[in-house]
Amino acid sequence: MLQKKICLLGAFGVGKTSLVRRFVDTIFSDAYLTTVGVKIDKKLLTVGSEQMALILWDIAGEDDIAAVRVSYLRGAAGYLLVIDGTRPETLDTAVSIQGRVDAEIGSVPFVALLNKADLEEDWTISMERIAQLEAAGWQFRRTSAKTGAAVEETFQELAALLAR
Amino acid sequence: MNARLSLAATHAPGEPSDEEQKARLAALLLELARCVDPSVAATLPSRLEADPRLDAMRRVLLERERVALAQLQEKFDDPKQLADAVGSVLPAAFALAAAQDDRLGLAISPTVERATQASIQKNPGRMVDILYPVMGPAIRKAIAETLEGSLQSLNQALKHSLSWRGLKWRIEAWRTGSSFAEVVLKHTAVFRVDHVFLIHRKTGLLLAHVARDDATTRDPQLVSAMLSAIQDFVRDSFDESASGGTSSGGIDSLRLGDLLLWCEEGPSAFLAAVIHGTPPAMLRTRLGETLGSVHDQWRGALEEFSGDTTPFEAAQPLLRLCLLSQAAETHRKVSPLMWLIPLLLLGALGWWVGQRIIERRHVDAYVSSLQDQPGIVVMNAERRDGKWLVSGLRDPLAAQPEALLAKTDLDPARIVGRWEPYQALHPAIVLKRLQATLDPPPTVILAQDASGIRASGNAPQRWMEKARAFVQTLPAGAPKVDLSALKDVQDPDYLRLRDAIQAQLIHFDFSMPRPAADQETKLDTVAGYMRELVQVARDQGFPVKVTIVGHADATGKDTSNLALSVGRAEVVRSMLRARGVDPSVLAVRGAGPLEPLRPGASEDELSMNRRVSFGVSTGD
Repeated sequence: MLQKKICLLGAFGVGKTSLVRRFVDTIFSDAYLTTVGVKIDKKLLTVGSEQMALILWDIAGEDDIAAVRVSYLRGAAGYLLVIDGTRPETLDTAVSIQGRVDAEIGSVPFVALLNKADLEEDWTISMERIAQLEAAGWQFRRTSAKTGAAVEETFQELAALLAR
Repeated sequence: MNARLSLAATHAPGEPSDEEQKARLAALLLELARCVDPSVAATLPSRLEADPRLDAMRRVLLERERVALAQLQEKFDDPKQLADAVGSVLPAAFALAAAQDDRLGLAISPTVERATQASIQKNPGRMVDILYPVMGPAIRKAIAETLEGSLQSLNQALKHSLSWRGLKWRIEAWRTGSSFAEVVLKHTAVFRVDHVFLIHRKTGLLLAHVARDDATTRDPQLVSAMLSAIQDFVRDSFDESASGGTSSGGIDSLRLGDLLLWCEEGPSAFLAAVIHGTPPAMLRTRLGETLGSVHDQWRGALEEFSGDTTPFEAAQPLLRLCLLSQAAETHRKVSPLMWLIPLLLLGALGWWVGQRIIERRHVDAYVSSLQDQPGIVVMNAERRDGKWLVSGLRDPLAAQPEALLAKTDLDPARIVGRWEPYQALHPAIVLKRLQATLDPPPTVILAQDASGIRASGNAPQRWMEKARAFVQTLPAGAPKVDLSALKDVQDPDYLRLRDAIQAQLIHFDFSMPRPAADQETKLDTVAGYMRELVQVARDQGFPVKVTIVGHADATGKDTSNLALSVGRAEVVRSMLRARGVDPSVLAVRGAGPLEPLRPGASEDELSMNRRVSFGVSTGD
């Protein structure tokens, strides 16, 4: 079986954990997030004819106090950057995280998730900025933890990226 | 450079117009070359001597180079300056050489070894100082592990040395020739390795996992990633490497109640063993060896690992060797069913005891009913081989024990009687014995009374005689048998025949010993009676005696009369004998004239007295 380590990153409160909760298998409680700063989930996928297990490292949200532990990023084959569409500052955090990840483990595939797509009318995020980042090679997906929209597809895409 | 110079030299003659000029230029260049490489001077002719102007020109043209060359020369010639120059480039040179391949390392390693050796010989203390940060923690760790192991065995040894189990182990140690500590350890080091995870260090991905068949596991991939995360967490949070610990850092062992997690770290992967109980230090060694083997065999696969765990499936047998265990010999949890067994046993025991008590009661009742019987003495009643053995003395005429047994609730097959025959003197038994032996006629009643046994009714004379004789033979102390109330009765046939015979008289003529001629018929009749009497006596079993009494009349002398009377009796006997009467019952007696029928002296009276009379009696 093929296994890949995937990190789930993003600013505090962007809904990383709730975003994937419905789509993954886990045996650990959310308490790990607050104590150890990471919680492990698993997503089984089929890419082509092969089974792939994405081992998701849901890393505690970044805020002013706690920076992401870089040691948790080590060995990641890819990552998901979660951004709250209603809070523009989370996009800045995502950019900063992306920069640090790039410096720490090199260039690995990632997908940026614009979460809370169900509240798209409340979005305050700059579409211009999104377009700039897309031009720089970022891939954005609009997801919703509430409806589950596009989450499964995102996993599938990321898996396809990694299998290449 | 040589080649180019020689080329110039060969082309020079091909252009005759400037030949001189070219030759000079060539010589100049040659000179330049000589300045750069002095060895050229040795092989090519110098033109300096040929043309002194050249020398001057050279000085003008090459002033700066000459100064630079001189400085270089000076640097090479002065060892201090040379060392300075080499020293400044050496680190960079080493770095470059090491980056290219291993040759530099190979080349300098003997020198380094020799240098280290020399340094240790010269000043061992310095090397100790250098190595202390590395060796110190390692030694501490080894000592701690050893101490932990020995403390554990010491505790157990103390705990078990005085118990019954300890005694058993001492015997085992003595028998097997091993030390007591070894035996204690063998029986008490209870542990079980449930899971072994081989985890890629960098990614935290699970490379291989083995588990005991009965061990439950949740998703091992998740567990291994979480373990890896926790390792990172601990490493980051406590920054062990910075505080002087070993460079590997991380969690070495983690205990949660009975559950123990041991991690063995390698460069590319680590082993995590989930253990129940307290494992011996040997397990740590085994984990280390296994991890070493994994690194040896899968070095390439570990370095290039990018998520494909297929190559590591082959490592499972190796990991399986770490699934060690030591079973506890005691403290097995008793299932509730196990309690049922003693309860059932207890119930069965109670039932059995109850049965025995009931049986005992029945036996006691049976024995006492036997004791109540005259002629039975019970000496012993005991259980033997699942049966009751009742033994004692029993008069053969006493009641049958089997008949008494049938009246009880006991199973006759479970009771065995063993009776010694004896003769009882109990009145009831003596009564029975009298009845059995004497066979009394229906007219006789034998009964037990306060003083003994009393016979009443009437019986024939001969039976009474038999009864008297038997009573005489009874042993002393036997109950008294009173026969005095019995009345004598005679056989009617006997009485009739006796009377008939005694009524007959055989008459004789005067002084004649033979009966008168007319007496023949009478004799026949008497003989007939007698034969019948003998037959009756024989049938009835009593003796009978007929006395033939001869008489004479009172005339003549007494002596001759006596002889005549005897003679008459003898004659009659002979005549009766001749008529078939058994002579053994016949006796003769002569009465002479002494028992006359008539006392008178008349002829009739005298004739009446000349006779033979008969007396019949029983007995001897």
